Amino acid sequence: MLKIKNLKANINKKLILDGFNLEIKPGEIHAIMGPNGSGKSTLSNILSGKKGYEISGQITFENQNLFDLEVEERAHKGIFLAFQYPLEIPGVNTNIFLKTSVNAIRKAKGETELDAIEFLKLVKKKANELKFDQEKLSRQLNVGFSGGEKKKNEILQMSILDPKLCILDETDSGLDIDALKIVANGVNALRKKNNAFLIITHYQRLLNYIKPDFVHVLMNGKLIKSGGPGLALELEKKGYENLN
Amino acid sequence: MKESYNKSLTEKEVENLKNYKYGFSTDIEEVRAPKGLNEEVIKFISKIKKEPEWMLNFRLKAFERFKKLKEPNWQKPKYPKINYQDLYYYSAPKSMKDKPKDINDLDPKLLETYKKLGIPLQEQKRLNGIAVDAVFDSVSVATTFKEELTKKGIIFCSISEAIQKHPELVKKYLGTVIPLTDHFFATLNSAVFTDGSFVYIPEGIRCPMELSTYFRINASDTGQFERTLIIADKGSYVSYLEGCTAPMRDENQLHAANVELIALDDAEIKYSTVQNWYPGDENGKGGIYNFVTKRGLCKGNNSKISWTQVETGSAITWKYPSCILKGDNSIGEFYSIAITNNYQKADTGTKMIHLGKNTKSKIISKGISAGNSDMVYRGLVDVSSKAENAKNYTQCDSLLMGNKCGAHTVPYIKNKNSDSNIAHEATTSKISEEQLHYCQQRGLNSEEAVGLIVNGFCKEVLQQLPMEFAVEAQKLVGISLEGSVG
Amino acid sequence: MEQQLKVDFENYVKTSKLSSKNIELKRVNFNHFLEKGFPNKRDENWKFSDLNHIISKNIKKLSFYNDFLKSEQVDESIFINNLEHNKLVFVNGKLEKKEFNHEENNKVEIIEDFNLLNEKININSLTSLNNAFTDKHYNLVVKKNYTLKKPLVIYNITNEDVTSKNLNLRFNILLEENSSLKIIDFLDDKSKNNFLNTYYKYEIKKNSILKNYKIDRKFNSNIKYFYNNINQETNSLSEIFILSLGSYFIKNEINCSLNGKYASAFINGIISLKNFQHHEIKTNINHLAESTKSYQLIKSVLDNESKAVFQGKIFADSKAQKTDGYQLSKAILLSNNTEFNAKPELEIYADDVKCSHGSASGNLNENSIFYLMTRGLNYQEAKNLLINGFLLDVIEKITDSEIKKIIKNIMGFKE
Repeated sequence: MLKIKNLKANINKKLILDGFNLEIKPGEIHAIMGPNGSGKSTLSNILSGKKGYEISGQITFENQNLFDLEVEERAHKGIFLAFQYPLEIPGVNTNIFLKTSVNAIRKAKGETELDAIEFLKLVKKKANELKFDQEKLSRQLNVGFSGGEKKKNEILQMSILDPKLCILDETDSGLDIDALKIVANGVNALRKKNNAFLIITHYQRLLNYIKPDFVHVLMNGKLIKSGGPGLALELEKKGYENLN
Repeated sequence: MKESYNKSLTEKEVENLKNYKYGFSTDIEEVRAPKGLNEEVIKFISKIKKEPEWMLNFRLKAFERFKKLKEPNWQKPKYPKINYQDLYYYSAPKSMKDKPKDINDLDPKLLETYKKLGIPLQEQKRLNGIAVDAVFDSVSVATTFKEELTKKGIIFCSISEAIQKHPELVKKYLGTVIPLTDHFFATLNSAVFTDGSFVYIPEGIRCPMELSTYFRINASDTGQFERTLIIADKGSYVSYLEGCTAPMRDENQLHAANVELIALDDAEIKYSTVQNWYPGDENGKGGIYNFVTKRGLCKGNNSKISWTQVETGSAITWKYPSCILKGDNSIGEFYSIAITNNYQKADTGTKMIHLGKNTKSKIISKGISAGNSDMVYRGLVDVSSKAENAKNYTQCDSLLMGNKCGAHTVPYIKNKNSDSNIAHEATTSKISEEQLHYCQQRGLNSEEAVGLIVNGFCKEVLQQLPMEFAVEAQKLVGISLEGSVG
Repeated sequence: MEQQLKVDFENYVKTSKLSSKNIELKRVNFNHFLEKGFPNKRDENWKFSDLNHIISKNIKKLSFYNDFLKSEQVDESIFINNLEHNKLVFVNGKLEKKEFNHEENNKVEIIEDFNLLNEKININSLTSLNNAFTDKHYNLVVKKNYTLKKPLVIYNITNEDVTSKNLNLRFNILLEENSSLKIIDFLDDKSKNNFLNTYYKYEIKKNSILKNYKIDRKFNSNIKYFYNNINQETNSLSEIFILSLGSYFIKNEINCSLNGKYASAFINGIISLKNFQHHEIKTNINHLAESTKSYQLIKSVLDNESKAVFQGKIFADSKAQKTDGYQLSKAILLSNNTEFNAKPELEIYADDVKCSHGSASGNLNENSIFYLMTRGLNYQEAKNLLINGFLLDVIEKITDSEIKKIIKNIMGFKE
């Protein structure tokens, strides 16, 4: 589904990713762990199409060159990024934002757009699954939301948009254990044969609730070690410095 | 489709039409006053409208005054000198010379024009819950829902009709909020105004539907000088809407209206404008000069006047809908969205004059400039020494898109009362890359994303509009900014 | 007045030792003033303070000629205690004492310049008046890489025997690269009903820092205009603090251009008035380069029949991306016959900027007064406490702790 070959990325002449390789197949869950400044967020930014990086290497998504696609076209194709810091957008109602987003993606896929009733039904169902307070959906997008609410809102959006590749950028940071479980359950419920997850995280604790198939360690811009779920536990015990 | 209206459309004009969908003109036979401005023309207008002598005297007095006035030039958007002798001051469809009694007797071309503008006038098709007075160039061509309103004692007709049928009301209030001597354009209007709407809501009546005037400039070389007078008697309520469009023409056209609102004790007037006059092409050629004087007088205690405007059209917009808060506990509000793109210019804002005790005013202004355009918010909050416990809150936010445009905020604040509270806030910002990226990541293209964010920016004002217009205005906000995202 | 002006000007030209070229330049300035006169409310800049009216109402038979040969005694009792400082003492517009005891040789220069610089003449009619009648310019130069060890206090004193006179002063301050200077302008008036017209021009070069504290504290009946023109290069900083208490009328006008990247300007001010006083602060900050910053905070407290005006403008050129401009003016009106007028203005042509302004005016919060009174303060004490609290955060913006202390003393604030 996703193939990254020899990805190098610079920002302001500073090398952040230095020959990064990764392949993700449908149905898989990959976790990338790494210390601060290892290039984790740069990776998710580049996958979502954020501008400002000098990039070389190759990324294909379903055999299509990702660099040929605009930010929103990647979303249309099914790439979803749960932001580390979800943005506040004053004055924009969350429901209206969600509906606009859902229909933009449906339209791009050639599906019929949802009308207000269908949409609200869908949102209600998903919000219940995630124990997300529906009242918040009539508020301005992320404005006045707590850190946990913002993250849950990201997962809600993910479940409504039903993407193929879900990238979770440090979604666990700033969450208490209950919120963490809700987020993890949401992710597990979404897991299907034909979609995949890329979980980017600093700590191992989210991986107690979401079982990854592969764990990779990112340091100084490249993956220095890959393995099964056991690797995460090893990391937790030894720390990044004492790996190998 | 457009060609049936005007066969001489060039390809470029057709292209333009796609951007400004009201840009067609109607090929209709017109009756015009002779070109130029003089006593004879004023007498001609008064005569053709079969006005009583006091009305003609009002006009002539204004004209005497006008001759002594100088055109103001303190505003920021400058414009080429207007030759006032080179304009037609009266232009009306020939078929309107004797106004048909029944809407169905109207010239089909007129009906078709309004249908295309989304304002069907015929009974079976007209808009639900909105009574419309349609003004075509210099005259009112039709007013809908008249009978229903009459049952409640509400008068809603053209001002020409009111001068003949309700002279006592017109005489009592006309020129009391905007005096004959006020300023250049207002005085010019008093001399040559041609038509407009008149509303009277009797004591204790809540007007059951939105009242609306739809202004259309069609003829070329014509100034449109309409006059609107709205009186809300004690304890009454009315919500009034105004919409405007004009065909695309290469020359600039002048629109200098006067609107006077009077709210007596416990009365409330809500006045909403969606102004979408032709703004000129992307190089700044053509477009309407919209130099309008709008003023409301909260004459009675506990009265309220609220202005809401969405200004997206016109080459130059120059207007300050204002409130004189004379009655104790009276309230004035001003909610504004002004959007300029390409070479459009706007100098707009409000004046809140606090005279009575416990008077309150609120100003929310959202300015968005894109392209090479220039936007000015200019406002005055004046609290007199007698206005004990007066309160004002002002918020002016500007959004800039690109660095060829400008945003200018010029509030004047005068406080002569120690028991008053005046607060003013203003910001200038842009749409952040991060917000755009976030929306795009969720599948919106950049124009949709900008539209969404800008609508969010304007939300407090859009909320003030009556439902039917809010949707329209929201779309307009998006359309006005098309092509401004690089 | 016009007759008097012409007579005084010819008289001045006759007695001066100026070159014919200089006299010609002065004549150009003089004619400009003659044509424009004192500004009145039809002038947008003077909309809220009609100087022409104020002068004609309060000064009978204004005269413009001054005898610069006459020497005056310096009253040293007014000097600031508890602060080691360098001194320049002007008495009735003439420099009488110059003392730089704390500084290294040749690092600070005062040059008396009789030549009018060939600069743009028409800033406004009052700077023209200044150019026409000042007999010389005072140029202060701080040399490259030098930081003055002690502040410079410029005493501007007028004596009892001066009345109905126009006194002009022109000062040019140049801070060469990497230099630093603190100036206190200390105004002290024993004279009555004069028009004092001062014009400061600052050139702040790369990496230099200017701090200027303008103190007008002694109650007097003079009318003053203080025009400040500041040009700042890359990475320079200016901090202006205005304490506007004493004069019957004073308008401090600051025109500051941030011409180089990372230049920043801070303007803070207090206007506290009673009786029929009328003070104005007008600022004009021009952001002309990238990443420049300005911050303004002005607070006024008005009693009796007094009037305060704040006009502040932030301008951001289309080149001035990443501008950060902030401005806030607040006023407390203690009596019903006071007046506060404000015109906070933004003019922005760059899209990546952060600019905002705010203005608020009103009375003290009655609930707060009540709360303090339940804790044992009487009404006046409670009011004073709240007023001091209101003004204190402006004083806290002063970055020099010694000077901050002096200003707190003047205001009667306890530490």
